Amino acid sequence: MTPDAIPVSPVSTLECRSCGAGAPVDEHFCPQCSRILALGRHGDYFTFFGLPRKLTIAQDDLDRRFRELSRKFHPDYYYNASPAERLASLERSSYLNDAYRALRTPATRIEHLLAIEGLPSTKSEGETSAAKVPPALLEEVFELNEELDEIREQRESGADLAALASRLDAARAPIERKREEHERQIEALSAQWDSQAETGTPAERRAALEALRETLLERNYINNLLAAIDREAAGIGLQSSVSGLQSEDPPKTVDRRP
Amino acid sequence: MGKVVGIDLGTTNSLVAYVRDGEPRVIRDSSGDALVPSVVSLGDDGTVFVGREAQRRLLISPSRTVYSVKRFMGRGIDDVKDEAALLPFGVSGEAGGVVRIGVGDREFTPPEISAFVLRELKQRAEEHFREQGEFDFEVDRAVITVPAYFNDAQRTATRDAGRLAGLEVLRIISEPTAASLAYGLDKKNRGTIAVYDLGGGTFDISILKVEDGVFQALATSGDTHLGGDDIDRVLIELVLREIGGVPHAGAGGSREQDPPHAAPAETIQAIRKAVIQAKWDLSDHQEAEIRVEPQAGLPKGYRRAITREEFEAMIRPLVDRTLGPVRQALSDAGLEPNDIDEIVLVGGATRTPLVHRLVAELFGKTPHSDLNPDEVVALGAAVQADILVSGRREMLLLDVTPLSLGIETIGGVVSKIIMRNSTIPASGREMYTTSVDNQTSVDIHVLQGERELVADCRSLARFKLRGIPPMPAGLPRVEVRFQIDANGILSVGARELRTSIEQSIEVKPSYGLTDQEVERMLIESFEHAQADFDARLLIEARNEGETVINATEKSLRRPDFAEITGGELTKDELAQIERALADLKHVMAGTERETIHEKTHALNHATRHLAEVMMNRSVREALAGRNVKDI
Repeated sequence: MTPDAIPVSPVSTLECRSCGAGAPVDEHFCPQCSRILALGRHGDYFTFFGLPRKLTIAQDDLDRRFRELSRKFHPDYYYNASPAERLASLERSSYLNDAYRALRTPATRIEHLLAIEGLPSTKSEGETSAAKVPPALLEEVFELNEELDEIREQRESGADLAALASRLDAARAPIERKREEHERQIEALSAQWDSQAETGTPAERRAALEALRETLLERNYINNLLAAIDREAAGIGLQSSVSGLQSEDPPKTVDRRP
Repeated sequence: MGKVVGIDLGTTNSLVAYVRDGEPRVIRDSSGDALVPSVVSLGDDGTVFVGREAQRRLLISPSRTVYSVKRFMGRGIDDVKDEAALLPFGVSGEAGGVVRIGVGDREFTPPEISAFVLRELKQRAEEHFREQGEFDFEVDRAVITVPAYFNDAQRTATRDAGRLAGLEVLRIISEPTAASLAYGLDKKNRGTIAVYDLGGGTFDISILKVEDGVFQALATSGDTHLGGDDIDRVLIELVLREIGGVPHAGAGGSREQDPPHAAPAETIQAIRKAVIQAKWDLSDHQEAEIRVEPQAGLPKGYRRAITREEFEAMIRPLVDRTLGPVRQALSDAGLEPNDIDEIVLVGGATRTPLVHRLVAELFGKTPHSDLNPDEVVALGAAVQADILVSGRREMLLLDVTPLSLGIETIGGVVSKIIMRNSTIPASGREMYTTSVDNQTSVDIHVLQGERELVADCRSLARFKLRGIPPMPAGLPRVEVRFQIDANGILSVGARELRTSIEQSIEVKPSYGLTDQEVERMLIESFEHAQADFDARLLIEARNEGETVINATEKSLRRPDFAEITGGELTKDELAQIERALADLKHVMAGTERETIHEKTHALNHATRHLAEVMMNRSVREALAGRNVKDI
């Protein structure tokens, strides 16, 4: 799902459909009658989980919160409830599951943070300007593309596949190194955001987010490069362990002509 | 409120279970059998037979007897053409529509056939509750299981079947997760479970994480067309190849093109029965015999020894096909085989030693088999049903959607909205706008699958979004919301954001039944209710007759029978018994319930003295050599 589809909430209070009382927008249950509240136009997964808007999240803690909230919202437990509560249970459970999916992995967590802080998604940019190579990667991309072209040509003219396979491995190595480097950068930037989240000036916070976004964009690009290498490997017949599946799923060539 | 049950609606067999005192239990018939064969047969007079009785009719009336209908649930004729060719009953349907199964002069959709099986299970449960002296024995609600890998159309078809059988379907849950619930009952510990479910027609693998009583599915994968039926088919084809001539009466040479299954349906069914027996035997023995008795289509009969080694070599490719989905599920869950703490085997086909061995090798652990693999799914369904109505909260099942959900975009490309293995309920939204001025409706095509192109994914439905306020092109902002509920079934809602006008949506399921069709079928099923009721009475009469026949034949085979006929029993009495026995056997195959009843009664009457004699003898034997004091 594209994170920019998440509407950021202008609503500040909820109305309980069971008793009519007003409730703060972050509450899950009505303070008055303790029934489950309909989902407001929420938008912030961190507060939904009762977490600060920080990127370092202990996996165990997130899992535990997810299970606790699941036990509170799940439709299984509202089978005998009123239609309004059943609907609220379905909506809150879905939202919880979406939120958990987004916060579970660092990359999607950052995506969500960028979205609620009002920055454009890295995904949409990746799609609309796919050809734009991040400046920091120009050199690697240029070399890799040349190498891939050559390997493709040689494969078509019937070269030794084993030799091509090892060339492909060699081409992969620098990209993998770049990726690891970016993982470390993202971690450092995340830690920086977390420390500034409370004390930083708005300008510092904005800068941290911009840096995160830039790095994430590059990382997405690197992942695309690695996927291209994988496709080429599949073309050579280097089957990974899931050979049975790959045969059903040929390399993805998407015809985007209107 | 009536009773609530859990139902495992299987390809080959179905079961019903319920929870009493916190303990799930399957419901058995008087002979202790829990399995109801998922077979439905239509008698010449329109009576409907279900279960064992229908299974018997496979041999005598194959073209009017339907089995493995689960394979057709929620599918179109194009999906099933190939396998339909192997089946003795007629399968048809319009391109792009629901499959129709022709039996005699009637036509059924797969949900209607499944509804017969469900109704049988419902009645079995009601009888059980009545016998238990329950005042309120009516069964009106159920949790029904489906393969984890069932798509939206297949789940919806299953829910429709439940409705047609007069059941409120509380929840559709996936079979592997149901099995894990049954296993997790008395285990409060945490861990990662792999459920390997090889049933009659489908294969599923699910990886679950269990913690604090929450059973959270991490990933699921499978093959909706791989199961025990395919193992049978390999063996049937072996036999057909070896009897060679049968399907080729007069055919010159072109053996390759002639399907080997052109043999008479009766012969195929006899072979099927024989190979299934051999398959079972091979689970316990190193060698077995496939034995088909001589009959019209096969005058010389057929006998062949088969070793387990031979058998395993033949089915190895099938079993290997399960490994791809297993690896896929593991990789989706981000796990390695040795991360799995426990393996649960489900489905009758996992009794095959080869399956057991390969699974153990793959995970490096011995799989669990303390619960009966045929019954564990129904037990889990009963637990889930109990959770829903009792409000007990110590356990919670969080399932995932097996396939990604998307919509068609320009150029026939699928844009994914909800990814596979998302925990359900799950939701997604997509924004739409118009492309011409004052356009008031938009067409939306919903698809399910992992591939990029529309043509490679399963079409779920087409929606027409109406009532968009007339505006210049590109101005309306229509938000379409996709909601997958806890059953894994999709619903769609839409709203124009500028005006907040809710849009009406017209749904045309691609391979399902519309609500109107379900309504019509419900009415028809009431019309047939009398015929179904008659069928039930006939089956009961036959069962009773069979019991008396078996008891009589057993006494005639007693070692001391000659002694009895020489002494206590007169020649006349023996002749009467033999006549009554022959009479009853003669009418058993017929459909006249009253006659069967009458002849059963007559045989009972004729054997009364014999029964007394045998009783006296047993008492004498038991007392022989003992002192009066001991008694």
